[in-house]
Amino acid sequence: MKARRRPGGKRRPAAARAGPVAARPDPRDRLRRVLFLVPYAVRHPGIHVKDLARRCGCTEKEILEDLDFLLGVGSPPFAPDDFLDLYVEGDRVHVALHQSFSRPPRFTESEAAALAAAARALGGEGRERVVKALRDSVPRGRRASFDELVERIYAGAPPAPDSVLGRLQRAIADRRAVTLAYRSASSGSPGDRTVHPYTLAQRLGHWYLYGHDSARGRALAFRVDRIQGCMLTEERFEPPSDAELARARLFSEPSGEPIRLRLGPIAAAWALGRPGLELVKNLENGGAVVEVSGADDAWATRFALSFGGAAEVVGPAPARRHFAEAVRRTLARYA
Amino acid sequence: MQKAQRLLDLAAFLLRAAEPLSWREIQEQFPDDYGRGTGEAAIRKFERDKAELLELGIPVRYLAGDEDLSAGYLIDKDEFYLPDLRLLPEDLALLYLAGSAALAKGTFPYARDLAHALNKLSFAARAPGASEAAALATRAMSEEKAAPRADPSTVARLLEELSRAMALKKRVHLVYLGAQRRERTERDVDPYGLYQSGGAWFLTGWCHLREAQRTFHLARIVSLSVNASAPRTPDFETRKDFSLAEVATRGWWELEEHAPVRCRVRLDASAPAEARASFGRRARVEEDGAGAIVELEVTNKEGLLRHVLSFGDAAEVLSPRSIRERAREILAGLARGLP
Repeated sequence: MKARRRPGGKRRPAAARAGPVAARPDPRDRLRRVLFLVPYAVRHPGIHVKDLARRCGCTEKEILEDLDFLLGVGSPPFAPDDFLDLYVEGDRVHVALHQSFSRPPRFTESEAAALAAAARALGGEGRERVVKALRDSVPRGRRASFDELVERIYAGAPPAPDSVLGRLQRAIADRRAVTLAYRSASSGSPGDRTVHPYTLAQRLGHWYLYGHDSARGRALAFRVDRIQGCMLTEERFEPPSDAELARARLFSEPSGEPIRLRLGPIAAAWALGRPGLELVKNLENGGAVVEVSGADDAWATRFALSFGGAAEVVGPAPARRHFAEAVRRTLARYA
Repeated sequence: MQKAQRLLDLAAFLLRAAEPLSWREIQEQFPDDYGRGTGEAAIRKFERDKAELLELGIPVRYLAGDEDLSAGYLIDKDEFYLPDLRLLPEDLALLYLAGSAALAKGTFPYARDLAHALNKLSFAARAPGASEAAALATRAMSEEKAAPRADPSTVARLLEELSRAMALKKRVHLVYLGAQRRERTERDVDPYGLYQSGGAWFLTGWCHLREAQRTFHLARIVSLSVNASAPRTPDFETRKDFSLAEVATRGWWELEEHAPVRCRVRLDASAPAEARASFGRRARVEEDGAGAIVELEVTNKEGLLRHVLSFGDAAEVLSPRSIRERAREILAGLARGLP
């Protein structure tokens, strides 16, 4: 089997864009990538190297190296028609002979288990249905390993009842408007909001629904654990273009200065590994000063208080004031 | 021939064969790889390759022959190709969105496998509908900036190594930095499970130093090595009574620090909507006009206090008195340093 690059095909210089840093190059990673790359290129004839790289989550350079690898594959006594014939012409990838690699192989047990663990942490009415479907798509001989692995990863508790998440997922998939019973942080009682749900995303450990709020006339982020009810309506909507959606952010950034916190040694040890925090400096006592962007004053106060006296909000002034007032009011409750 | 190339050739060779291929036919096709040396060594090499193909999701089967079919090796096409998962649109959305958010954070067990799985999803459904586009947005929106001191790639690497060790049931050796004692300890651990809580990852397993089940914060693992001897032979069996969900859903107040104490917490109506659920399924929540009273059993009073304080002045520990005194002490200490 052999991959060929047509003599006329011009090789594009390796792209400079840095890809995700691979922890350790594993030759099996390349095999797994080409087992996806070939069928994907079969299904999308003439796909740009750039798009194929994005699809595979790697750099263009890696894609070109993969094609080189395929070029090196094969040894006599293979006949000409036994080659895997893949070539690049003007930055586009074509497959002349795919040698039965027209679909990717089944999920490995760890692929399926990772996806199942992620799905269980988000939740939804389909939670156990998808775990079963994933199990069925693992080779028969590996299903027992899947069963065991899936019980070894717990990625968190779903943010809302399955019924709420199930309806949100259906509405996103069908592009249907929803009516939400939503209790925002500022207003105590739930209010109805009509929303065109675009997607769900996770930030700082919380799930958000991102969608267009009809009454407010713009796209907003709704914390999923504050959605107390969700109803699908008959209204269908046109989503923003893929490019627009890919550029969208949960919170308008910059939403002011980042909030600064001082952590004592024990708090610093606990906060390690927490996403969204940036280290400003290490303190001599083992503590640290950190910054968090895109969070509001109330979040920062709660976060600092959760360290039981080992953390405080130090700036900017409004956030510091919010923290000071919360400390005094809370202290008054224990007087 | 390079192994990766050989594996791909072998898969292609078996896939396009109309009938099972005999060992002799395979040897003829790969004379440099399986044709040399003693028969025994060549067969062992082939068996190792078969095992690696299976790890890639490619099952090679040996079929004992009958009168119609000769004996030999084959790849069952139905067992090879990823089938259509026949998912409802909302279930496909669930997989795409959950997987993309998990991947975007950069720290997830089997992160690389997860990336491959998400790619393959586009073949697992007839029409991805809105889910694929929504998932791209999920990925962009869920990316986080780095955590302090802990290089996220370190946690990512630990997760990768621990996931492998867990799957193969290999013992690991940890150098661990304790939170309270701030000292380094070394220990052997049988990795039982990985869980996420408050955005951080934890390993739970059997600790041979303490001879008990213990939990470790990944960001505090200074170094880790996996027992490299006999990589495919398990080092341990997981204890029968082990339940990851039980460990992972424990609140801070359920860590075993002292004998159980009944505690009561007042949650005001102004407390955030998620506060009630945050006390877990074992807590009793009674609504009243002013909000709710939460009653629960606590084995770590400090942990409960920290949790209640995180709701600011919208919550208060009502009893026991010892926690109230501790709350006063903490808050007064903070207030002293404030303008």
